[in-house]
Amino acid sequence: MAATEGNTLLKQATGPNIRGLLRVIILVLIAGAAVSSRLFSVIRFESIIHEFDPWFNFRATKYLVQNGFYSFWDWFDDRTWHPLGRVTGGTLYPGLMVTSGVIYHVLRFLTFPVDIRNICVLLAPGFSGLTALATYLLTNEMVTSPSAGLLAAAFMGITPGYISRSVAGSYDNEAIAIFLLVFTFFLWIKAVKNGSMFWGALTALFYGYMVSAWGGYVFITNLLPLHAFVLICMGRYSPRLYVSYTSWYALGTLASMQIPFVGFLPIRSSEHMSSLGVFGLIQLVAFVDYVRAQLPSKQFQTLLRALVLFIFVVAFGGLVLLTVSGVIAPWTGRFYSLWDTGYAKIHIPIIASVSEHQPTAWPAFFFDLSMMIWLFPAGVYMCFRKLTDEQVFIVIYSVLASYFAGVMVRLMLTLTPIVCVASAMAFSQILDTYLDAKTPVPDSKESGTSDTAKVAAAVVVPEGLRSTRSPLVGIYSWASKLTVVGASIVYLMLFVLHCTWVTSNAYSSPSVVLASRLPDGSQHIIDDYREAYYWLRQNTPDNAKIMSWWDYGYQIGGMADRPTLVDNNTWNNTHIATVGKAMSSREEVSYPIMRQHEVDYVLVVFGGLLGYSGDDINKFLWMVRIAEGIWPEEVKERNFFTPRGEYRVDEEATPTMKNSLMYKMSYYNYDKLFPAGQAQDRVRGARLPAQGPELSTIEEAFTSENWIIRIYKVKDLDNFGRDHQSALTFDKGHKKKKPAKRRGARVLRVE
Amino acid sequence: MRWLLSLFLLGVAACVSALSVSGSRLLVVLEDEGEREKYGVFLGDLSDRGFHTTIQSPKSDKLSLFQHGERAYDHVIILPGKSKGLGPALTANQLLDFMKKEGNVLVTLSSDHATPTAVQSLLLELDISIPSDKGALVVDHFNYDSASAAEKHDVLLLPFPKALRPDVKNYFAGEGVIAVPRAVGQTLGNESPLIEPILRAPNTAYSYNPKDEADIVEDPFATGEQLTIVSAMQAHNSARLTVVGAAEILQNGWFAEKATLSGKAVKTANREFAKKVSQWTFKETGVLKVGKLLHYLDEGVSKKLNTSLSIPEHNPTIYRIKQDVAFQVEISEYSGDHLAPFIPASSDSVQLEFSMLSPFHRLNLTPISQTANSTIFGVSFKTPDQHGIFNFRINYRRPFLTNIDEKRQVTVRHFAHDEWPRSWQISGAWVWIGGIWVTIVGWVAFVAVWLYSAPTERSVKKTQ
Repeated sequence: MAATEGNTLLKQATGPNIRGLLRVIILVLIAGAAVSSRLFSVIRFESIIHEFDPWFNFRATKYLVQNGFYSFWDWFDDRTWHPLGRVTGGTLYPGLMVTSGVIYHVLRFLTFPVDIRNICVLLAPGFSGLTALATYLLTNEMVTSPSAGLLAAAFMGITPGYISRSVAGSYDNEAIAIFLLVFTFFLWIKAVKNGSMFWGALTALFYGYMVSAWGGYVFITNLLPLHAFVLICMGRYSPRLYVSYTSWYALGTLASMQIPFVGFLPIRSSEHMSSLGVFGLIQLVAFVDYVRAQLPSKQFQTLLRALVLFIFVVAFGGLVLLTVSGVIAPWTGRFYSLWDTGYAKIHIPIIASVSEHQPTAWPAFFFDLSMMIWLFPAGVYMCFRKLTDEQVFIVIYSVLASYFAGVMVRLMLTLTPIVCVASAMAFSQILDTYLDAKTPVPDSKESGTSDTAKVAAAVVVPEGLRSTRSPLVGIYSWASKLTVVGASIVYLMLFVLHCTWVTSNAYSSPSVVLASRLPDGSQHIIDDYREAYYWLRQNTPDNAKIMSWWDYGYQIGGMADRPTLVDNNTWNNTHIATVGKAMSSREEVSYPIMRQHEVDYVLVVFGGLLGYSGDDINKFLWMVRIAEGIWPEEVKERNFFTPRGEYRVDEEATPTMKNSLMYKMSYYNYDKLFPAGQAQDRVRGARLPAQGPELSTIEEAFTSENWIIRIYKVKDLDNFGRDHQSALTFDKGHKKKKPAKRRGARVLRVE
Repeated sequence: MRWLLSLFLLGVAACVSALSVSGSRLLVVLEDEGEREKYGVFLGDLSDRGFHTTIQSPKSDKLSLFQHGERAYDHVIILPGKSKGLGPALTANQLLDFMKKEGNVLVTLSSDHATPTAVQSLLLELDISIPSDKGALVVDHFNYDSASAAEKHDVLLLPFPKALRPDVKNYFAGEGVIAVPRAVGQTLGNESPLIEPILRAPNTAYSYNPKDEADIVEDPFATGEQLTIVSAMQAHNSARLTVVGAAEILQNGWFAEKATLSGKAVKTANREFAKKVSQWTFKETGVLKVGKLLHYLDEGVSKKLNTSLSIPEHNPTIYRIKQDVAFQVEISEYSGDHLAPFIPASSDSVQLEFSMLSPFHRLNLTPISQTANSTIFGVSFKTPDQHGIFNFRINYRRPFLTNIDEKRQVTVRHFAHDEWPRSWQISGAWVWIGGIWVTIVGWVAFVAVWLYSAPTERSVKKTQ
């Protein structure tokens, strides 16, 4: 008795207030864990912006902070895509920069003098805490058990699938977009549940924010209509759905059209047509519903159903017709490659050349999601059991996101939230079952256990089996509870270990700075990138144009502050192909191209000395392919392969390969490092020709410590009107031979 | 004290300055000191024009074109000598390096002496060919001096050259005849735009080697106007090289001699011609200078170009598409000892390009006013409907004039969000604006009617 009294006392004590407080504390702790696990890179290296795209975002943010919002909005960037320039203000998603700008100004207003760089570096970890909170809210809408929400928040906080894009310094659109994605879904569920215009408007507001932040907003644009459509097809149409959908669609579309980069896409492009279609459909359904309420009749209903189907078909046909006739913009290439993974490689090499657009390898799922990958189906299955409106959403979301994550590596990011939610639901179910019924009263064991057991058993096991009719004692024994709970705890521990390990080893490298281990175990930093970029910054005129492959455009713009020809915003395929052509052609072809584009320096990345595999020779085939797409007559991929179809750089490399500017720039003077004839490329494991390549139209300007970055200066026209090759041979002391007896007709000089 | 010093320095500077814009240090390479007297008048004229002449033998150890990596002289004259080599200080490479640093070279040839190998390969590199065998010379059976070369016909008497083309100024005009004794003719390549003939042989001349008469009939080196007696080359950096086919043109003996051209007694004007040629080679003539260059937004108040240079040099770095832009540039020509307004030849004009990858505009600049020592050229135009990074570029290259290649990079941006016309200013938008207002008014009216008629509707429902 005393025990039960104590129990009830305890239960009262852990009433709503204290539970609420505990929940807040737990959430704060989760947010703390989420933030701190993303700080590896800052602690190990320094507070630095990572990779490529973040450097552009950082530069844009600095511009915003310095010049104010309106000049950012109208920003014409004359330091990229020389000489075309880029209407940057109208071709970016400003959400990220504006967010950091607002934070910066708020902190300044509160008299905290913070460097904008630190805000940018720490924005992603900060938002990951908010994402955990949003996941908690979303999960709470799905199940009654409060523990599921907390688990989901914890999962979301530390899962590598999300950390991969949100470590400190990874200042990319995804940093805030995932929070916005989850939060928008939470608001949508809330709106559907309550049928409230208020929540619908809030959904639209956050949807607008999401549109301003990331191109992945299209995922929401298609998922919400799909949810509504499925609900309608299931016969679950309700005024709640009508109110929430129409208020979201009308306000959200208006909000999204305010972003210049999106503009009229919501009514013109195919990706947005589903939401428009469902908007139309829901009007019809509402109308039909109203008529049905007025005139109840079975036949009338079937007739109407046919009518709805007919209109749907007609609308769909009209859509196809409009697309074919060109009124509605056809699907973009990136979208096609979502359905056919081979599409991009054939038609748009520039998309296929990005590693994060490749199909996902299956170990990546385990790597990024660990144990959640097998809990996830269980959670989805649980949704099928009750299948309320919001659980339908979970099902649709998980099916779609699983598919997309399999097609493109980077879309793993959209899968992660739903995996966290679903597996938290499954996991909390297990824990609830085995922890809640922990202390059955010993003397009233028969009645007490049977009651709770029935409830508990009903939850996990279907009713029909004979073995479950009589309550099984086995589950309630201490042994089974300890086993299951213990195993679960071990799994959770392993999960945390795995996440920490992955974060620390795989996702915390800035990739601007490379780290390696010396034989004695100490860390050695390879800082060639920054060395070279600072060399450019300090030794070249302010408007010296740098030509490099587009991967390094953003970094050159950000770190070296020099104009570039092409960068990671690959908006102009022809311009990129021009650079590809210059890199893959003979010097005599490249030189006029470089002169025309006023190139002063050429930058190449060469990993042969260090064994750094992400270098330009390995990317070279993409340059060739992209150039071939525009000039199929002048650049041919086949010529870069030996007759046996091998891609070689050694003695047996094809003449086209050996004469290409990229090859020459990579291996120029490289043989001087080695004893004669011993030059070795450590990436491709090839012994290079004894005679190194020679350059005539460009000259070496800088080579970094480990030869990772090599910079060449483009020579001016020869002072005496000769071509560079003959000028070079003359300088070497080979006098021009007097032409032997002229043959044929004399060429006379005319003025 | 300081002002005294500066005044003194100014005085020294004034004394030192020659008539050449690029400096006064002149090196004369002469192998045989005894031959110096032959060129006495020519060298004296140069000294009178302010050049500080150093005469060195090519064999001298002290001879070097460079000192501490910089030019030791501003100009070089190479006079013919007996030996075939010019020594280690005057190789073809070094002469080219000298020209890369904007030094000017006057090379003289002579059919009496073998051309030094350094000069041979230098000329070959610049696409100027000379006969390969020693002793080849230019003869003409119609325009020869019957007084001194009655038999051999190898002393030509030529008039001063005419303008090369109608659009090229003539810097070598003069009165009288030029005596060209025993010249080595050159031919110029067709490829290089940098070489031009100064003095061409007449139609009836040909190159001929007295030692090898058979060959000439089969395959003469060159004939007629293809043969050049004096040719010029101006590099991209405007360094100049002149090849004088006959060193004797510069000798005292021919400076003011009596000669006979087809029976008539004439007086040679070689001194005048030598002056013109050396003036051009050493950048005393044909030198252009770009002064103030400015471009600005033409605000549209006055479409006329501003004809003075009183506007402050502002030169904005950014324009917008479809804006009116005015461009002005000040160009002077060096004339003797001062800058004078530059006036292009009658059928020629300086052009401005406004280009991104390729020119979007190529406009003739018109002289809009003159100052004491410059002409102001100007033009006004509208920026194209294409944003990007453009260049104002003047690329003015004419024979015998130093090159002008001026580039100013500007950005042409797109319309800002608040620079478009407002919706009500576009008549085509009135339909849509009307539609919006009709919808709003209609909705308000509907709500009003709805609110007004609400109670009756309820009673209707009740009755049902």
